[in-house]
Amino acid sequence: MRCLATVAFCLLGAVMAARQPGGAGILRYAQDDIVAQDDIVAQADTLRASVVSSTAGSITVPQRITFQQLGSVTGLSEAVRRFTGVQIRDYGGVGGLKTVNVRSLGSEHTGVFVDGIQIDNAQNMQVDLGRLNLEGLGSVSLFSGQKVAPLQSAKEYSSASSLYLESAEPVFSGSKADNFKTGIGAGSFFTVAPKLSWEHLFRNGASMRLSADAVSSNGRYRFHVKDFRQYPDGSLAGYDTTMIRKNCDLSSVRAEAMVFSPSSGYESWIIKAYFYGSGRGLPGPVYKKAGEYPLSLDRQTDRDAFIQGRYYRSLSDVWSVSGRAKISFNHLEYIDFPETLAGGNPAHYNYRNHSAYLSASAMARISPWLSVNIAQDIQYDYLDADLRGFVYPGRLSSWSCLSTRLGSGPVDLSATILYLDVNDRFLSGGDRAGARRNVLMPSLVARWKAAERFTVNGFAKRSYRMPTFNDLYYTTVGTKTLDPEDALQFDLGMDWVAVRSGASNLSFKADIYWNQLKNKIIAVPTSNQFRWSMYNIGKVAVLGSDVTVDYSFKAGRGEFGALARYTFQQARDKSDWNGQIPYIPLHSGSVNLFGDISGWRADVTLFATGERFTTSANLPAYRLAPWATLDAAVTKNLSLRGNDLSLKLCLNNLLNEQYEIVDNYPMPGFNFLLVSTLSF
Amino acid sequence: MKKCALLVFSMVVLAVAAGCQKSETTSRDADLAGVNVAVGEKGLFAKLFVLNEGNFQKNNSTLDFFRFSDGNYVSDAFGSMNPAVVQGIGDTGNDLALNEGKLWLVMNGSGYVHVLDAFDETLIASIAVPDPRYIAFDKYYAYVSSYAGAIYGGDEVKGKVYRISLSTYKVDGEVEVGCQPEGVAVSGNKLYVANSGGYNYIHENTVSVIDLASFKVSSSVTTASNLHYMASDGQGAVYVSSYGESTWSQDADGNWIQSMSEPMGLYKISGASSSQVKDVHVSCMTMCSDGYIYAIGNAEELTGGYSNMLYKVSVKDGSVSSKAISGTDAAKVGNPYGICVAPGTGDIYIADADYTGPGKVWCFTKDFKEKWSAVAGMLPAHMVLY
Repeated sequence: MRCLATVAFCLLGAVMAARQPGGAGILRYAQDDIVAQDDIVAQADTLRASVVSSTAGSITVPQRITFQQLGSVTGLSEAVRRFTGVQIRDYGGVGGLKTVNVRSLGSEHTGVFVDGIQIDNAQNMQVDLGRLNLEGLGSVSLFSGQKVAPLQSAKEYSSASSLYLESAEPVFSGSKADNFKTGIGAGSFFTVAPKLSWEHLFRNGASMRLSADAVSSNGRYRFHVKDFRQYPDGSLAGYDTTMIRKNCDLSSVRAEAMVFSPSSGYESWIIKAYFYGSGRGLPGPVYKKAGEYPLSLDRQTDRDAFIQGRYYRSLSDVWSVSGRAKISFNHLEYIDFPETLAGGNPAHYNYRNHSAYLSASAMARISPWLSVNIAQDIQYDYLDADLRGFVYPGRLSSWSCLSTRLGSGPVDLSATILYLDVNDRFLSGGDRAGARRNVLMPSLVARWKAAERFTVNGFAKRSYRMPTFNDLYYTTVGTKTLDPEDALQFDLGMDWVAVRSGASNLSFKADIYWNQLKNKIIAVPTSNQFRWSMYNIGKVAVLGSDVTVDYSFKAGRGEFGALARYTFQQARDKSDWNGQIPYIPLHSGSVNLFGDISGWRADVTLFATGERFTTSANLPAYRLAPWATLDAAVTKNLSLRGNDLSLKLCLNNLLNEQYEIVDNYPMPGFNFLLVSTLSF
Repeated sequence: MKKCALLVFSMVVLAVAAGCQKSETTSRDADLAGVNVAVGEKGLFAKLFVLNEGNFQKNNSTLDFFRFSDGNYVSDAFGSMNPAVVQGIGDTGNDLALNEGKLWLVMNGSGYVHVLDAFDETLIASIAVPDPRYIAFDKYYAYVSSYAGAIYGGDEVKGKVYRISLSTYKVDGEVEVGCQPEGVAVSGNKLYVANSGGYNYIHENTVSVIDLASFKVSSSVTTASNLHYMASDGQGAVYVSSYGESTWSQDADGNWIQSMSEPMGLYKISGASSSQVKDVHVSCMTMCSDGYIYAIGNAEELTGGYSNMLYKVSVKDGSVSSKAISGTDAAKVGNPYGICVAPGTGDIYIADADYTGPGKVWCFTKDFKEKWSAVAGMLPAHMVLY
């Protein structure tokens, strides 16, 4: 850890005559920011110094799901789809790929950060939300544009929007130095999911958490294939058959180790080691196939591991620094079985993605109203694949960032300039020359507290996403000469807390935005979830609006609430057909109702998505039907001889809606999961 | 009940259609209005059928037709005429052929060969054939080339030709040929099969010759790399197209460009020898009953920024005439993916594939004057006149 910090400091070139800062610095900023954002006050005592990197202190106000709300969902993708402006692309079932697309810019434009460090892979930039765990998380936040907080890394400014997953720090009650938790989930698809965790408080005040969980599921479910057509004479004819989704089993194990720094006025750090291993069937799309052949026998095995650390230190009243480092390795094995050749040997593909990341940032709080943040990140990615004629690309990326923050009275302004330089080199592929791409990403974020409970905010941002290794160098479909995707965003929003009292709360949040995407690279998994075909749609213009209304009140011993979210997105393909781009609905939204009485909590959530099209030619033949699902969850916390027992029953798709998010990938009907957790 | 009635009704229609071939009764598909794209005209043909390949494993292959009598273009005619057939015609239509009043659809992704009545598009039979590619006929049989379970990156697997009886619509024989066979053609008492070797590191370069009487491979003719389309001249010889070979090289500025090391070409196979037809570069082609092969292509297909040519090859004397497409109405075609020519009028139909959305079908006179165009389905590619 010290080594890491040292490297970080050297990179910075900052003067490192360590001063004893005497309790000022980071925590003070954090506290200031908390005051500015009073909804986090309640958690401030438990979050301690790590609050700097959580949602606190950002000019931009994220959409946020708290620990309590996370309790009522079964997976991260279900939590994230409650946000406005978000479309989850879900291929269905327990093992189906789930990615998040914010404001129609594409999932590659959304950075997913775990404790402030991005999860990414240069191969396809897809982050499967299905593989990330809710367990141990304190909050999930979505920032449109970017987060603007003290001591950010340069990479935190680079995505069009960012999803932050923050680990909850262990809390020890009384004189306890150990917390144990064990639980098991069981439910539909023959799912069994045991979990185990141990938290320990060291004498010096540091703490750690070791946790492990596993999932085993056969993933099978029934679905309908139907098509009816109306004839001019009014008659209706068609078919409706029931089929069973097969080859969609999943087994996975995950192990995590985290160490949190002791509470300190001037430094804080967090280290995380992570391993995820899984094997799954890839059921593929549903299409007509002659009877004796299965649709797909393909399998995928993953082994992901990383170790990462983050360090903050306050050096003086003016200076504070931070460092981040990560080493990660992903191994993906894909086995393509010839469905029509019984007993035929499959094709094996192995992809090994190696990556190393280092970041250093420094902040100078020059005056009470002016602070400057500089950051330098570097990352090296290397992809090894046993494909014929593969070029073995290596990529060295460098992010350099200068950010200033001006705040005076009710106005808060931040201007950032980020320079990204990406160099690709090939270990093989003959004498093929490397490729260099560099871009400049400016952004401006403003927040004006017009009244005590009324805030106006806005941002303008230009960001780029680099073409992935799959886009560029996949031997059969890669296009070698792709430009980075160019995303331009303008947003104007307001937050209004209409009522805030002990008994009831009512708040409104609304945003209107205009995005333009140029040089869009479309990667659609046509043949299966793994093999991509590439095309460049060119230009997309998005006009959108997100609205959230949040109401809650206390009555007697209970608390009740309603949360309604609505998203409007007109995402036009300006290069072809001028229609709505594939898979983006014009209207979508959700309504969540909850009630919490003496340890019982019930949640009911309705999701609705309007019609979508599979191509920019919005013709009836390419229309995907609208859908709506109703989910419910009941949780109960009991005290058993001083130990806590928590029971959770999640009922998903109660009305057994038959729908597809991705064309020809049917979603499961009604399913449930029962989870019991014992803490002692 | 409705389905049952429909079934009975379609069987009745079928029986009528089968019984009197082209009867004077109006086809039931006359109820399908479609979209008017042209002025109706009387001619040799009633319909132009268009098979849209659809996107791989998207199950969106469709059969359309253009009706000459009223100039209307009807999308997804199969779905409308056979609404109870689960999942329609299926996935990735790879070939379309007309034989004795029956329309044969070769569905590569679904592993089916469908037989339809060309009169009203009703389904007669669906025959399971693994990985079928192209089809050809003699008097008693249909012959379908097949990848037979090969996958890219997997073991080298030889392809096959399946033989389907025209009387029973059942597979009654198979014979192994080269890797990833594509086009097939019957000429004389032989079946010629173009082997592509598309999944191999080095492409195949042979045509397998099958003796029809014994249904065994009798010889193999070395021709050119990566063979594809095949056409019979009806006099014992066949023509086969080659996609050639490409290589990557670097220009002065360090940009990588793809170029042809062996050009796309057309070859004539006669007996045991093959000879190149000079200066014909084929990306798609058709054999027209007027005795000419029509092809679209150019010498540098893979480099982009090309200008396509229309080639007209006489199978009688081997003479070639070519005409530039640029500067004519046909230059509006974005990506020629299939071609069909009407004997008599010489009207040229070009299927135009748009890889992001639905494609188009264009009709031009023989002098490349635009007659009409229509929005088709996904990746329109194969056309026949009925």
